[in-house]
Amino acid sequence: MGDETRRHDVTLEWPDADRERRTIRIGEDETVLEAAERADIALPFGCRTGACGTCTGRLLSSNGNGDADEGTPDVADAFAYRRPPRALKERHRDTGYVLLCIAAPRTDCRVAVGSSVHAELVENPWK
Amino acid sequence: MSDASTPGDAEPEPEHDHEHHHDHEGPGYATPQAAIEEGEREKLAYVMSLYVGTDVDASDFVAVVDLDPESETYCEIVDRIELPNRGDELHHFGWNACSSSCHMEGLERRHLIVPGQRSSRIHVIDAADRRNPELETVIEPEEVFEYDLSAPHTVHCIPDGEILISMLGDADGDLPGGFLELNDDFEIEGRWEPPGEIEMNYDYWYQPRQNVMVSSEWAAPKTYYPGFDLEDVEEGNYGHQLHFWDWEDGTVEQTIDLGEEGLIPLEVRFLHTPESTHGFVGAALSSNIFHFWRDQTGEYRAEKVIDFEDREHPDWDMPVPALPTDILISMDDRYLFGSNWLHGDVWMYDISDPANPRRADSLSVGGTFGDVQEVQGRELSAGPQMIQLSLDGERLYWTTSLFSSWDEQFYPEEGERGSVMLKADVDPRKGTMELDEDFLVDWGECPDGPARAHEIRWPDGDCTSDVWQ
Repeated sequence: MGDETRRHDVTLEWPDADRERRTIRIGEDETVLEAAERADIALPFGCRTGACGTCTGRLLSSNGNGDADEGTPDVADAFAYRRPPRALKERHRDTGYVLLCIAAPRTDCRVAVGSSVHAELVENPWK
Repeated sequence: MSDASTPGDAEPEPEHDHEHHHDHEGPGYATPQAAIEEGEREKLAYVMSLYVGTDVDASDFVAVVDLDPESETYCEIVDRIELPNRGDELHHFGWNACSSSCHMEGLERRHLIVPGQRSSRIHVIDAADRRNPELETVIEPEEVFEYDLSAPHTVHCIPDGEILISMLGDADGDLPGGFLELNDDFEIEGRWEPPGEIEMNYDYWYQPRQNVMVSSEWAAPKTYYPGFDLEDVEEGNYGHQLHFWDWEDGTVEQTIDLGEEGLIPLEVRFLHTPESTHGFVGAALSSNIFHFWRDQTGEYRAEKVIDFEDREHPDWDMPVPALPTDILISMDDRYLFGSNWLHGDVWMYDISDPANPRRADSLSVGGTFGDVQEVQGRELSAGPQMIQLSLDGERLYWTTSLFSSWDEQFYPEEGERGSVMLKADVDPRKGTMELDEDFLVDWGECPDGPARAHEIRWPDGDCTSDVWQ
C-alpha cells in the first residue's frame, strides 16, 4: 500500500455474537475482507467475486451519518466496488447491504458483519 | 474393500473391487449385478462437511465416517481431511474413475475430486489409504475462471480416465454455465462442450452405450447462492428444462421444457443398466418426479409420474411444498429413493415399470412435519436431504444439509446444532424401510463447532456415482 493511499477506519460489529467490536484501518485499494484477513479477523466469505453474498455486511453508519433516526446510510458514499455486486438485489443495495469481499471503503464507517447478516437477505417465503 | 489398508513404503494397494472378480482390468465392477454381489458392506463413508457461511473460523472438510457395526468407533467421524482454505462450500464430489472405466487397465478408483461450490476451487484427494486420505492437489479458482466457468457441481469420470464437472455459472457467477474437463493428471483440459450449448446447468448423468448424457438446471450461481427468493421464481430465474446431449460430440441434441410442474429439476439419474434409456429427475420446487425415456422415434420424452402434495402448517402462511431435493436408483434398478427436505420424509417407489412408479414405503423423520423429531435424544434440525444407498440396497443413509444459505433460511437451527447422518434398514424384497434408531452420526460434536453434512460416497462405488459402459 502506497503512502498516498487514503485510509479509513471501519468498525466491524457482530449483531448476534458476544464479540467485541473491532476497528481496522483500511486503505481505499483494499477490500474489507482483505483487511480483515490481514488483521486476523475471520469474516464469512465464499466466492470472493461478488456473486454469492456470503460476505454480506450491513452499513450502520457512514461518516457519522446513519445512526439513530437518520435513515439508511448510502452504501455508494461509503464504499467503492471492484466488481458489480451481483449477489445483491436492488432492494438489498437500497437498504444498506454491502458485499465486503469486493468493497473498499471511501469513508469512516460502521458495518454489521457475521453470518447472521447474510441470513437477513431472504426469508422463508412460506412461513 | 478393506478399510484397514496399511500405508508403507510401497504404493498402497487399493484393495477394492477386484478381490473376487477378475474378468476386467480396471476399476469398479463389470456390471451392476456384480456390484451387488461382489461389493462388500460399506464400512466407511466420505461425507462433505462444511463451515462456510458460519462464524466458525475453520475450513470445510471431508469426514471419514466409520460405518462398521463391529468397530469400536462405529458412527464416529474417524478422520477429517481439512482443506487449506475457508469459504469453499463443499457440496458434491466424485471419483476419478468408476465402473465405466472397468476396461482401463491400470486405472484405479483412488482419487476423490472435491469441488468448492462457492469458491470454484477444486481439490484432489488421494484415498489410496481408505481410512486416512490425503489432499494431493488443488486447482485454484483463478485457473477455473480462465475458462469463463464457476460453481462446480457434479463430478463424473469419463470412461477413458478423464473427469467431467458440471459448472453452473460463468466466471462472474452469471449464466451460462457449462462443463469443465480435467485430464488424468488432474489438470484442466478445457471446456468439454462448445460454449453456449446451454444456459443453466446443474446435475448430469450419462449412458455411454446409448451415447447420451442428460443434464438438469438449477439457476445462475448469483441467483441461488444468497438463498431462495420468490422474486427469482416470478422473474423466471430458476430452471425447468432437461437437456439431452450427444455424449461423443458434447452437443445438445434435444431440450425438454418441463414447464411449471418441473421447476428446479435437480438430481438426474439414468437406470444403471447400460442398455436403458429410462431415467428420473426430481423437480424440487414443483414437488414432482419426472420419468424420461427415449421413444421409438429416437426422441426423448418426459412425464410427471410422482406428485407430492403441499401440506398446511398451522404456523406457516402458505402451504409448504415437499421440496424433493435428492433421488437415487437402487443398483438393481428396482427402487427409486428420495428425500422431501421441507416435509421431512424419505421414500421409496418400486420402478419395475418406470412409467408407473408404485409407492412402496416412506419414513417421516425430521423436517417440518416429521413424526420422529429426535434420535437418541438428539433433536433433528432439518429434513432428510442427500441420500446414499448400500450396493445391496439394504441400507439407506442420509444427511440433512442442503446448501448453507438455504439451510439458514428454512432450518436456522441447523447452523447452531450441526447436521446428522441417519440410516434406515431397507427390505428390498418386501419394499419396506425402518429407521435404525441405533445409528446416529452427529456433526454437532465436531471440534471446531457444529458443521453441516452433505453428500455421501462409499470408497468402492455407490448408487449415485457408478456408470456402466
